[in-house]
Amino acid sequence: MSGTYTVPTGRPEAARGEKRSASAIVAAIAELGGESGFAVKAPRRVEGRVEAAALHGFAAALRMRVGFEHLSAISCVDWLADGEFELVYHFWSYRDNCLVSAHVRIPRDTATMATLTDLWQPASFFERDIHEMFGVEFLGNEDLEKYILTDWKGPPPMRKDFVSRDFAHDHFTYKNYEPSWDEMIDGGYYSGGQNGGQA
Amino acid sequence: MSDKELTQRSAWETVLASLKKRSLWMLHYCTGCGAVELPPTMTSRFDMERFGIMPMVTPRQADILLITGYLSVKTLKRVILIYEQMQAPKYVVGFGSCTINGGMYWNSYATMKSLDRYLPVELYLAGCMPRPEAIISGFNSLIDRIDRGEANSWKDYYENYEFYRKNQEHTFGDIETHRSIADDAQYYGFVEVTK
Repeated sequence: MSGTYTVPTGRPEAARGEKRSASAIVAAIAELGGESGFAVKAPRRVEGRVEAAALHGFAAALRMRVGFEHLSAISCVDWLADGEFELVYHFWSYRDNCLVSAHVRIPRDTATMATLTDLWQPASFFERDIHEMFGVEFLGNEDLEKYILTDWKGPPPMRKDFVSRDFAHDHFTYKNYEPSWDEMIDGGYYSGGQNGGQA
Repeated sequence: MSDKELTQRSAWETVLASLKKRSLWMLHYCTGCGAVELPPTMTSRFDMERFGIMPMVTPRQADILLITGYLSVKTLKRVILIYEQMQAPKYVVGFGSCTINGGMYWNSYATMKSLDRYLPVELYLAGCMPRPEAIISGFNSLIDRIDRGEANSWKDYYENYEFYRKNQEHTFGDIETHRSIADDAQYYGFVEVTK
């Protein structure tokens, strides 16, 4: 870790107080201005779309002014047909026991996103993972080292256009025997066919 | 054992083999799901210790390296480092179909497929996964092979190190190991010392 992040410390004022309902949280998000696409998805879940450029400001406002002080995960979805990645930021409020999911779409070929490590240092963990598995570049995160696939030289393996089977056959050597199990199963060998299931 | 066999192997080797075969200490590298079959094998129900096989916590004191399941490329590197620390004679036992040909992870980008391309495997326990009876049966055949002096796969690592090293480098690039295999081979008498 570079240790240069300035992460806000202490609990924001909005993180204290009465428990709010999900619709009250939607109203509080709308009060921030700019983001009006949030809606109640379930009694303790709020979901909405955020523009990629606005995400960092939205996350900061959600933390400091609405009181969602915990970034619980960042996940990534590869929409190959749309040519887009969808990053889903999950924010949690201990005050409300409620989850806010902010969905961000970024183009697949120039996959860059602003980092959240200046707000939540543990975001680096998720961003490293997404960088490794999907190849998304997080601007401002200086710690995008290899995480799990330490000896990996191929393309990001969780992209939909990565064919694991072809990669495995190119990079590993299998034992040279050819079981004909599929033919035996098709021929009814195991299912009460010619052998009466007595395989 | 017949007299004919006694002449082929020296008496001391025969004694040594009969001692070795009943004190096998096992380092179990529990990577995959097969690890759950080991507690019943070790404990009172199947009681592996009646064959002299005991779990051991350090590689330097272990005879058997049991790989219980798939190895990802990252863990395979650690297994190679562990194997090279073990003192000969040492026996790698591949447990489950994952170590044989990838098993159910045959098309995964992250798991290695054939363990015997990286380490000399003495014995494979086939199955997904092998039950404790199969483990006991496999270890019994290992004991028989040691008794007959046939369990010599570990020598292959020193005699054909180029083969294993080539496959390791193909997967990892330049892998940094902590043991000098050339020195070990000399220690075990595979290379003649020139003075």
